[in-house]
Amino acid sequence: MLKTLVEKEIREILSSTKFIYTFIVCLVLILLSFYSGAVNYKLNVTHWEAANAENLRSFEGIKEWYRVTENRIFLPPQPLATLVSGVSNDIGRTANIEPSGEIVADDSRYNEEPAYAYFRFIDLEFIFLVVLALFAIMLGYDAICGEKEKGPLKLCLSNAIPRTKFLLGKFIGSFAVLSVSLIVSIGLGSLLLPMLGVFLSSEEWLRLALIVLAGLLYFGLFLAMSIMVSSMAQRTATSFLILLIIWIGSTLILPRVAVLLSGRAVDVPTVDELGYQKAMYGTEQWKEFMNTLGNYEAIDNDNMEEVMANFNKFMDSISIAREDKMNLYRSRLNEQRYNAELERSQIAFALARISPSASLSLATSTLAGTSPNLKDKFYQQAKNYQTSLKEFLSGKTGMNVGGGMMIIELDDGSPEKDPIDPSEIPQFVYETESLSTSVKDTLPDFALLILFNCIFISGAFISFNRYDAR
Amino acid sequence: MLENNKQVILEAINLTKKYDDGVVALDNLNFQICNNEIFAMLGGNGAGKTTTINIFLNLLEPTSGDAKVCGVSSHIEPLTVKQNLAYVSENVMLYPNFTALQNLDFFTQLGGRLDVSKDEYREVLMRVGLAEQVHNKKLKSFSKGMRQKCGIAIAILKDTKAILFDEPTSGLDPKAGYEFIRLLNDLKDEGKAVLMSTHDIFRAKEAADTIAIMNEGKFLMKEKASTLFDKDLESLYMQYMAVHGLKPTTEGV
Ligand SMILES: Nc1ncnc2c1ncn2[C@@H]1O[C@H](COP(=O)(O)OP(=O)(O)OP(=O)(O)O)[C@@H](O)[C@H]1O
Ligand SMILES: [Mg+2]
Repeated sequence: MLKTLVEKEIREILSSTKFIYTFIVCLVLILLSFYSGAVNYKLNVTHWEAANAENLRSFEGIKEWYRVTENRIFLPPQPLATLVSGVSNDIGRTANIEPSGEIVADDSRYNEEPAYAYFRFIDLEFIFLVVLALFAIMLGYDAICGEKEKGPLKLCLSNAIPRTKFLLGKFIGSFAVLSVSLIVSIGLGSLLLPMLGVFLSSEEWLRLALIVLAGLLYFGLFLAMSIMVSSMAQRTATSFLILLIIWIGSTLILPRVAVLLSGRAVDVPTVDELGYQKAMYGTEQWKEFMNTLGNYEAIDNDNMEEVMANFNKFMDSISIAREDKMNLYRSRLNEQRYNAELERSQIAFALARISPSASLSLATSTLAGTSPNLKDKFYQQAKNYQTSLKEFLSGKTGMNVGGGMMIIELDDGSPEKDPIDPSEIPQFVYETESLSTSVKDTLPDFALLILFNCIFISGAFISFNRYDAR
Repeated sequence: MLENNKQVILEAINLTKKYDDGVVALDNLNFQICNNEIFAMLGGNGAGKTTTINIFLNLLEPTSGDAKVCGVSSHIEPLTVKQNLAYVSENVMLYPNFTALQNLDFFTQLGGRLDVSKDEYREVLMRVGLAEQVHNKKLKSFSKGMRQKCGIAIAILKDTKAILFDEPTSGLDPKAGYEFIRLLNDLKDEGKAVLMSTHDIFRAKEAADTIAIMNEGKFLMKEKASTLFDKDLESLYMQYMAVHGLKPTTEGV
């Protein structure tokens, strides 16, 4: 009996023009997103390679290691980021690393391409959030009230089938059609990747599969919700309107309201405020530094070199002291701000998760490595890199690099030095999160998506059992 | 017909339905329909005919009383009851994107018969008056009468002890109407109990074994058709309606 119902449902959907058009739109959009993703990725790789080469070239001809005062690092493009861009376009992708001092990443992609910032990319996440949700609504909004409006519902229910079975048949049938169309579209899109020269590792394929799974859950949830609403409304127009309102509310309004509310709940100082505080402190410290310097008395010695050495030693000690104090102050401020920011975003995400679209966004972007904590991870790794750069340069020059240093070059007639070898400078390697960590981080969102599915499916069964089918 | 072969198939016992808004659609209705019997409910719009049928189909719960099929109450064991019921609505609506055969196939399987051959479908479609060339046409191209015939075919194929017809002849042309009465008699001879609501006095008299005139959820009259043989049913109907100070309607024919 269930088989009959499922078959009928599938046949009915496939024979409707509404399905054919929606499927074509969906397929085209998915192929487009894979295509533009692949092209963008290759372009980004070229840019990234060129920028790295350019950076190395800037060290050419330098003969003294102490002249190397900074190195530029770049966040490497990730293939999955082109499918689920997450925050990867919003955050700075490159940073100037000095052996000490703050790290500020700049040059986000949206900085360079404002049009994209405005309209965003069509990526897989957007398609899931907007197009697939609408697709599910389109196929589900008339599941029950449409059968009533068209007429066959009463005749169907005059047979000895339990209503639960009838609804189950509808649900299985439409979910099967929807998921097969989605999987076919994504399968075709995935074929495009190697054809365009983008090769995913097996781990990345697995991540993509999990992203699709999240998409299917989201999709199932919207389908269940549509069927639920369709078995509460008497007319298809009402059902469609209600679903549209829910869709707009959950994808466009709720997440924004969550961010707004969390901003009210937790006060986070702006970067400018912080910069001002740091600058004030810096000025104070500089005054103190100059005072100490003014009180310096050079040793009485005829040997110029010894005088220099003594002065340098003194300078070294007070610079280190100043720098330590500055670092301490800065890191305290940064930590305070970071903690406030963390609290705010945790509140925002928790609130936003009332809407399943937030769960979908977070799950897919975490799996693609473009979740909101990409910025932190880049910063953290840049910070580690800073330490290794500092160690490296200190080793090369035998000095505390980065402090206030006075270097007097004396032409002592020694032979011309060879230029330094820039490839000795440590390379910045960005380590992506391990798959198991990503999966662990997405568990709450998967759980929420499943929970929403269960709620809506039970809701659909309850309301259909009470539905007036006359 | 021997009396001891008779078996009550459809039965209403003090059947009462009061809608939420206070309308009493059925008021202590009682009737019995046996196998090989056609029972016609005549009545104006809003008399309670569709309500009666809906209660048998468990689409409505009775406020009190019972609607029984083969001794089983429809609101207690709806699934058992529905196994023994076929139903044709006043405006048969099927799946518009399916052909007549596909619709027949789906509903017959839903009715629990999984082994019906294409030939049998075609045979039944011919029997209700649908020519071979429309069997593979989509239902959306069908006229109301053609849909009605499809609905009747589905009811025949379900092959149940009882059939409920809600104004089955609405939308049928005169020839089809005539053929429908013949079909009804065939079904009766096959042993089915038929409950039919109708506005069509003449067809009712022609086909039915028992005729009831219904108004405001009550039977004003319930007689064997044989006893009405030489009476003019139409003037009888008018008389009953007039007694109750109501404006009768005989539209929908
Ligand atoms: N859902 C409802 N809520 C309230 N009252 C209703 C409802 N459905 C029907 N009624 C009322 O119940 C009464 C009987 O209606 P019913 O549909 O059974 O009449 P009918 O005999 O089938 O009429 P018709 O010949 O027009 O089909 C009418 O007075 C009608 O207004
Ligand atoms: Mg009616």
